[in-house]
Amino acid sequence: MLLHIGGFRLDIDSQGETIWHHLIPQTRVLCAVLFVFAIALTPNGRWWTWAIYGTTVTAIILASRVSLQVLLKRVAVEFVFMGVVILGTLFRDGGQVLWQWGWLRVTTEGLTILGSVSIKALLSLLVMNVLILTTSVPALLHALAALRVPPLLVAILASMYRYIAVLAEEFNSMQRAARSRNLLGNGERQRTVIGNMFGSLFIRTYERGERVHQAMLARGYEGFPPMADVPQTKQRDIVAITLTAILALSGQAIYLLF
Amino acid sequence: MHHNPISIQSLSYVYSDGTQALKEISLSIRASERVALVGANGSGKSTLLLHFNGLLTPQTGEVVVGELAIEPQNLKQIRNFVGLVFQNPDDQLFMPTVWEDVTFGPLNQGVKGEALNHRVIHALQAVGLDPSLYTSRSANGLSGGEKKRVAIAGVLAMQPQVLVLDEPSAQLDPRSRRQLIELLDSLPLTQLIATHDLDLALELCDRTIVLSQGQIVYDGETERVLSDPELLAKHALESPLCYSRPYCHVEDAPLSALLHSH
Repeated sequence: MLLHIGGFRLDIDSQGETIWHHLIPQTRVLCAVLFVFAIALTPNGRWWTWAIYGTTVTAIILASRVSLQVLLKRVAVEFVFMGVVILGTLFRDGGQVLWQWGWLRVTTEGLTILGSVSIKALLSLLVMNVLILTTSVPALLHALAALRVPPLLVAILASMYRYIAVLAEEFNSMQRAARSRNLLGNGERQRTVIGNMFGSLFIRTYERGERVHQAMLARGYEGFPPMADVPQTKQRDIVAITLTAILALSGQAIYLLF
Repeated sequence: MHHNPISIQSLSYVYSDGTQALKEISLSIRASERVALVGANGSGKSTLLLHFNGLLTPQTGEVVVGELAIEPQNLKQIRNFVGLVFQNPDDQLFMPTVWEDVTFGPLNQGVKGEALNHRVIHALQAVGLDPSLYTSRSANGLSGGEKKRVAIAGVLAMQPQVLVLDEPSAQLDPRSRRQLIELLDSLPLTQLIATHDLDLALELCDRTIVLSQGQIVYDGETERVLSDPELLAKHALESPLCYSRPYCHVEDAPLSALLHSH
């Protein structure tokens, strides 16, 4: 989520009128989190379970009518980061050796793990991105608060969302100021300057935090962020959560029963 | 409303690095008065403002707000009594949307439901923002003038008796500044305005307090101090622009004779 903040609007599909959009934000968060847990906790190599989960995720994507292009673009960007981590799983011992070059060897075991982890990461990213595309950040934060996530944690997330754009702007203006005084030089000098910028950005952030805290105190803040009213759960929300749970369990049941 | 909302007796404050920010300050603000607080950079204005609603507690001396001394058990009431508008609206608008930011103060006071909606709508209307257009907007996308207004609305929604503003006209374009002056003029609250904008002080405030190096060097009629260039220059200030020009009306300006002749 943080990768995309500031660059463009996160929730470009939040105004839709589909079944998925009619669920209250808490339900959407709960369904997505349940599903991600089910996907991630499945043992490696259970392809049929992921086939069921994959179908469900496809169904959610189609039902929520998110902009496919944007969804895929975001998942692609995030997958690059995941890919670096996942690549390490390929070179494992165990099973048959399929290919060897010096001490590097690809085994059947390694391939299974790589495939499993990639599918897990891909499905989880898809679910989370659909959630973020269709739910505005304030609504998400409210949903988290309503789901009894510690209020202080939600408040920290909220101010992170609010201030990351301010910080990016501050860094950009420092960079412009440096460039307007002809910051050229060699790579090392540039790195020193950018390092110093980060340093002063850190101090400014700290000072700003102090001022924001004073502004909060001035308006009667006593350590707990206030809670506005939250939307009420309807029948369809209960149906959606039950359905998610059933699908998650039936995915696991395939390997237990057959 | 209280007769003497704020009174300060021989207040001094020293920062931890040894800087003496305030020295023996004594003053008293009367109800529904508008007072300008002027002084050079580093003269102690901001430090003094933070004392008005208990963000700083007096080291020596006494600050009484309403009838309450600044003490931990009174802070909640004091902060409901004195609303503080910060200089940089980005410091004050910390919630994701305008609606959430304006509701922040009232929710802390325990206002809920219909009364809360009413307060927010009323506060936004008071600062001239259309509630139906602004409540769902994100604080990041607002212009400087709009941010300032939302910041003031967030404080007004708490229904304070005293409004304290730190450099309200800083970083505003001429039209936003004019609208702000009209807005402050229309609010029937006791107001304390710390500013470098002496034209604004002259327009809005009958009384001016001049701070210099942590001390009060003048407390009295605004017009009198602003027409004393020597005193102003001594404390790193300058007469307002409208005094320093030989003409005060647009038609007296050098170019207007040319324009009018066509």
